[in-house]
Amino acid sequence: MAFEPVLSRNFNVPGSQSIDVYRQRGGYRAIAKALEMGRDAVAEEVKKSNLRGRGGAGFPAGTKWSFLPPNRTVTYLCVNADESEPGTFNNRYIMELDPHMLLEGILIAGYTTRATIAYIYLRVEYHKAYRILQKALEEAYAANLFGKNILGNPDFSMDCYIHRGAGAYVCGEETGLIESLEGKRGWPRIKPPFPAIAGAFGKPTVVNNVETLSCVVPIIDRGAAWFASIGLPPASTGPKLYTVSGPVKRPGCYEAPLGLTVRELIEGKDFGQGMQDGKKIKAVIPGGLSVGFLTSDELDCKLDFDDPRKYGLLGLGTAGAIVIDESVDLRQVLMNIARFYSTESCGQCTQCREGTMWIYKIARRIASGTGRLEDLDLITEITATMGMMTGRSICGHADGATFPLKTLIKKFRLDFENYIRNQKGVAEVIAAQ
Amino acid sequence: MAMIIINGRAVECAEGTPVLKVAVDAGFDVPFYCFHPGLKIVASCRLCLMEMRSKDPKTGEMVWSPRLIPSCQTPARDGMEVRFDSPNVRQNQRAVMEDYLLNHPLDCPVCDQAGECWLQDYSMKYGNALSRMTEPKTVNPKKSVGSKTLLYQDRCVLCSRCVRFCREVAGTNELCVIRRSSYAEIDAFPGIPLENKLQGNVVDICPVGALLDKDFLYKQRVWYLKTSKSICPNCSTGCTICIDHNNGRVWRLRPRTNRKVNTWWICDEGRFGWKYVHSNQRLLAPMLKGARVTWDAALAAAQQLLAPAGKAQQGKGVAVVLSPMMACEEAWLLAKVVRAAAPQATLVTGFVPKASADELFPVGLTDQAKAKFIIRAEKCPNRCGVEAVCKALGGPQATFADFLAKAKQGTFALAWIVGGYSQEWVTRDCSDALSKVSQLIVQDIFPSSLSARADLALPSCAWVEREGTFVNHAGIAQPFDRALPPPVGCQQDSQYLYRLAGMEGLYRAEKVREQMLDKVAELRDLWTPPAEARGMH
Repeated sequence: MAFEPVLSRNFNVPGSQSIDVYRQRGGYRAIAKALEMGRDAVAEEVKKSNLRGRGGAGFPAGTKWSFLPPNRTVTYLCVNADESEPGTFNNRYIMELDPHMLLEGILIAGYTTRATIAYIYLRVEYHKAYRILQKALEEAYAANLFGKNILGNPDFSMDCYIHRGAGAYVCGEETGLIESLEGKRGWPRIKPPFPAIAGAFGKPTVVNNVETLSCVVPIIDRGAAWFASIGLPPASTGPKLYTVSGPVKRPGCYEAPLGLTVRELIEGKDFGQGMQDGKKIKAVIPGGLSVGFLTSDELDCKLDFDDPRKYGLLGLGTAGAIVIDESVDLRQVLMNIARFYSTESCGQCTQCREGTMWIYKIARRIASGTGRLEDLDLITEITATMGMMTGRSICGHADGATFPLKTLIKKFRLDFENYIRNQKGVAEVIAAQ
Repeated sequence: MAMIIINGRAVECAEGTPVLKVAVDAGFDVPFYCFHPGLKIVASCRLCLMEMRSKDPKTGEMVWSPRLIPSCQTPARDGMEVRFDSPNVRQNQRAVMEDYLLNHPLDCPVCDQAGECWLQDYSMKYGNALSRMTEPKTVNPKKSVGSKTLLYQDRCVLCSRCVRFCREVAGTNELCVIRRSSYAEIDAFPGIPLENKLQGNVVDICPVGALLDKDFLYKQRVWYLKTSKSICPNCSTGCTICIDHNNGRVWRLRPRTNRKVNTWWICDEGRFGWKYVHSNQRLLAPMLKGARVTWDAALAAAQQLLAPAGKAQQGKGVAVVLSPMMACEEAWLLAKVVRAAAPQATLVTGFVPKASADELFPVGLTDQAKAKFIIRAEKCPNRCGVEAVCKALGGPQATFADFLAKAKQGTFALAWIVGGYSQEWVTRDCSDALSKVSQLIVQDIFPSSLSARADLALPSCAWVEREGTFVNHAGIAQPFDRALPPPVGCQQDSQYLYRLAGMEGLYRAEKVREQMLDKVAELRDLWTPPAEARGMH
């Protein structure tokens, strides 16, 4: 049975960014329905759909909303559009090709959580998405979808602002995002209190990813039961926007039910359509850089919320696959990864701040041809000293750094040992020194 | 109260206190940098991590958490069980210490902090002898962040205490963290240097040698310094301080933690307000009618001046001006000496220097109860104490203004006037009024127009050279110790007053205090702040 696109259904429709086209194709039907259903019913529906956050951690969205204190007076909704995970661009597709779907999702979430202001925290590099979203927001305001008494409902008023980030990876972490939104340095906060209790400006706050909010629209429109039947229930329900990049024939963003295998994503005719010019796969980062590496023997890994863990990965992540072919020098991969995480470390927790930089220095040395075999063990040891999962850091940045680094060294150890035995540096690295 | 178990030992504490504080107060060895009892908790140094015992949701058994937990961020709850001595915790401490030293320049031999540096101490206890990093170190810059403070970023551990201090206590927000990762640095916002009136505290709370006091820079190795407990005399707050001195000189002042008065801080006015002590302008010998005399001659002269004046009308023509810079014991002794000769002598509380208003911190605050620190407008330490002494002694009394007014009318034949201020204090008004007093005995630190025309001028000592008790604006009586001997040629004020009072031996504030207890209620409850555990001050 061919999968009928849900999140990407408007992507190829001409003029999909306009409110009229969106409406013609059934848009803004869900918010009207939600207003009729009432807050509790909508919340219940989202819970039943078992929608899990698409931002990387996979926390159930309905449960997240239920953490808000019942006697709150002010609630904020923060939309995490700071999509900065390397290899990931599905939020960008949504915002550039179907901005009204996101706005409708914001409306439903805002209505359900009684939010009065929604902030879209947009990655600053997304200039095009900013223009498109801004225009869509103006259209929505003109149609009384935002502002006072939305769609004539005296019980629902909400404003929406787009706040552009300043180019920090760590501001994609929800409390880093909130700090940055408040105009402060984007240092993730210590928890508790969680944002649901004291978030933006000290008030109860919901932070949801763009794709998560987009999923709320079809859930209300077509029902939780329908949504929960897609994918691999009960843990992984619903459709997912996968992205694939690297030397595949057709890199891009494709929709499929949760549970697509990495092999299908790379080779499927609806997806990547295989490698370019007979190139051979060396390694795949299946879900955004932070989840870690798969070898070419592990391509049957299913991209859902459970399977990646069996391959030693952090999780599903953002389902943005990066394919690396055999012509690539893995030492450069190691160095690039280490550089990314070291320069993006916010500088707050010692292990992450110093550890990532140390690894980068070692990786650069390995790439320049003066690596030692013990460096591989040293990198592995340093990765074990940091991370939120072991309680050693405040946020998940260090975990995001350790998984690609340690899986790369563990799964491709022989390659690294050969590189080091040959002691021939990467030409570009030596030239840059 | 709550009972928690740390490393197998039961410790009693107030419910909700950070576990780190409970552990350190109870004497457990727990390393940490970012926690400070006076600042918000950020849990970013990750050095105080511990293990906690909790119920396994699956089996219901009590098990040690596999995850480490920051003890600073965890409030103590009754029945809690934690440990800091497991291999996992130790491994983390070692790893973090290794991280701290990766890019540290290891320039202890030229670092002011050496000897009181937490990085040195923790390295000895928890660190490794050798660094495994073979690559070049990241070198962060050195810079001046204000007219009084230097920042050596290469030594910084980024605990952010200084940033939080400027934000939460001073309320002036000058400092911030710029850049990311290993290149992150502390910096002052462009155009807003670190110039607030409490800025010296950032140097104190810096656990390493990153923030340095320009005034103290390269002056002394800290292990040569001797420390005396004192009280700051610069305003009526009465902050408890440590005087660090060596070779007969004061080198720096530091706050001494005092939950009742100044908590952890002092202001720059107090911190740098000791320079006059070593001024070469000081009055160093007794002067009889402008001529230098021996102490014996001077004291005999004092008695000769007092006796006839005291005889006339039971000494109604005698006044003694007790400076609010004096300690209670000194005021008591002098009043006693004068009253012994002239029973009806008028007791006057001396000139009280005042600024326009109290300064509250964080700046902008108007509610005194919410202030984290107050620099009082009253620029003397012991007005309350001197007033209490006068009240206790009874008899004729006058305020300083009344005294001047009466003096102008020629009421007084003899006045004994005590100064002791760090600055020139004799106004035109004052010297005009006193020109009508026929005989003057002046006791002061610096020569003035008054001491020049005095029949007898006696040198006074600065507070670092004296001991006694100050009663602050709120009536809290705090004793202070002597840090330095008086300058050559001088005697401690109370020592010569002691002799004039006919008492034998060396002056001890305690001995005088004992005599005063019945009369001066303010001195019955002396407040000496308890010593705090390392790092909690």
